[in-house]
Amino acid sequence: MDLTESLKMAFKTLTVNKLRSGLTMLGIIIGNASVIAMVGIGEGAQKYITEQLQTLGPNVMFIIPGSRETRELGGLEVPRNLVVADAEAIASQVPSVVGVAPEYSTQSLVIYGNRNANVSVIGTNEDFPRVRSFEVAQGRFIRELDLNSHSQVAVLGSSLAERLFDQNLPLGRRVRVKGVSFEVVGVLKEKGSNLGLNYDDAVIVPITTLASRLVGRRRSPYGIEVTYISVSAKDQESMKTAEFQITNLLRLRHKVRNGDDFFINSQDTLLTIANTITGALTLMLAAIASISLLVGGIGIMNIMLVSVRERTQEIGLRKAIGASQQDILIQFMIEAVILSAAGGVIGTLVGVSGILLISALFPFEAGVSIMAIALAVSVSGGIGLFFGVVPARQAAKLDPIVALRSA
Amino acid sequence: MNTPLISLQNIYKIYGSGVTEVRALSDVSLTIERGEYCSIMGPSGSGKSTAMNVIGCLDSPTSGKYFLDGENVANLEERELAHIRNRKIGFVFQQFHLLSQLTALENVSLPMVYAGTPPAERQKLAAEALDRVGLGERMNNKPTQLSGGQQQRVAIARAIVNRPLLLLADEPTGALDSQTTQDVMAIFEALNQAGITVVMVTHEAEVARLSHRVIWFRDGEVLNDHLAPEEIGQVTAVG
Repeated sequence: MDLTESLKMAFKTLTVNKLRSGLTMLGIIIGNASVIAMVGIGEGAQKYITEQLQTLGPNVMFIIPGSRETRELGGLEVPRNLVVADAEAIASQVPSVVGVAPEYSTQSLVIYGNRNANVSVIGTNEDFPRVRSFEVAQGRFIRELDLNSHSQVAVLGSSLAERLFDQNLPLGRRVRVKGVSFEVVGVLKEKGSNLGLNYDDAVIVPITTLASRLVGRRRSPYGIEVTYISVSAKDQESMKTAEFQITNLLRLRHKVRNGDDFFINSQDTLLTIANTITGALTLMLAAIASISLLVGGIGIMNIMLVSVRERTQEIGLRKAIGASQQDILIQFMIEAVILSAAGGVIGTLVGVSGILLISALFPFEAGVSIMAIALAVSVSGGIGLFFGVVPARQAAKLDPIVALRSA
Repeated sequence: MNTPLISLQNIYKIYGSGVTEVRALSDVSLTIERGEYCSIMGPSGSGKSTAMNVIGCLDSPTSGKYFLDGENVANLEERELAHIRNRKIGFVFQQFHLLSQLTALENVSLPMVYAGTPPAERQKLAAEALDRVGLGERMNNKPTQLSGGQQQRVAIARAIVNRPLLLLADEPTGALDSQTTQDVMAIFEALNQAGITVVMVTHEAEVARLSHRVIWFRDGEVLNDHLAPEEIGQVTAVG
């Protein structure tokens, strides 16, 4: 008997019992859909995080105070030992660096007229837009002159500007922070939230002004302390050199004996960390989803075993009129494979539509991975083969006499 | 051809071993010529069903030789036996054994599917076979839409569609009333007239009487292999 006949026969049998076939397939459908959706979500999350990291700025590195050890211990006493002078030293002494922006951030109420907002107040220097890839939408950014003269000027994030001024032009108006009045000289272009930091909802002032007028009392004996320093390397190639040079410079400046009191995170290391985490997450999701695929396969075996038992007379008759063991084996195998492969295809469609839905509802785009689809469909087909063997062999081995007699 | 269609030579069929040994067939030798129409009878446990399974190549004998159409089939592989059942033997069962999800035509086509006949030809031959048993009008009915007699006629059409040498019927009228029994027997008679060898296992004397020769089994042995149908009553009395 040729294969097309077997296929026709199997389709006929499966369509007779539509509800049962459908329910049997459901296991595979769910398994397959979840594998594809989970892998898609995992990949989407990975892509999202990568994109987020890339918006941090080109070739950017972050110098963060405190040793890894103290931070890992919970960082109760994070040493405030990174100062503006360190940033200046890097800018003047490390040739592979094109921009250095120290940042000190604090939380405070910003008041304009009868409106106010509790936002981040960030002190930084004129390099900030270049290092962190920000653009000024209106007016200007902080200038070197502002830093030197401790000017009371502020640049607003886009959504903060909207909250305080509505449609009015903010430039030239004065806002109050902790009782200090600042003139608004510029508004940043909208950038969106980024790894938990949202500069759209912040006010940016010269770090010198911030230190002397707003948080002056917490000045460290070494100079104006900073939360971290962002550094922009000349290009991708000079990242490693810059990291090396900065490390050496800071060790000298901080007279480090054993164990650095700072560490440097480049965009690369952040990417690596993020990829490791999301990769593991994807794998875990896929593993969980695979379990449902396996359960679906067992469901197929179960139903096929029931089917063999129910159809003993049919099997006996088929043998009597000339079906060989192989014919019967193939017939039952094909039924199992059709169930699982059809379940696989439907599951793929469900999974892909799930991904499209997620992409439409959430900010990140879940990827439809061709690899995941190919894998899921072939795995579910394989599951049909694997779990179909036992029932099919049972059917093929049936003694036609016994099978015909069973009533 | 001069060889007999069926020639059983010293056939044994033994189940189990040692103390639990059961001799279903014990040294059975039997010859049935081409074109014969005979019945196999005997009390239950006499070995008639086992004999029928061996003749039908559904079961292999423990020892002995079985020549079917001149070929020793006693020790053939499962695959080859399936092929012989498909080409040389047509089966009719008491329970009809039609597949309920298929139409009459599709049921009749089934042996040709296993024979590898092209679909168009299958259609034609199956329709012809149904015509032959008088069911040309009901080809597209499913078994549940047919009466018992009609179902058995579909089964007969299925048995003859591959033009077998031998029609093997196991209690073919066991589930039928007397009127339809006569219809079915008339078809057997006609098929035999057309040259098909018919062998039928039955316990109904009236049915056996319609055949031309009766083979009587008892305790796994052939008690009488050439009983004239008129003599059935006497043997039953003895038996």
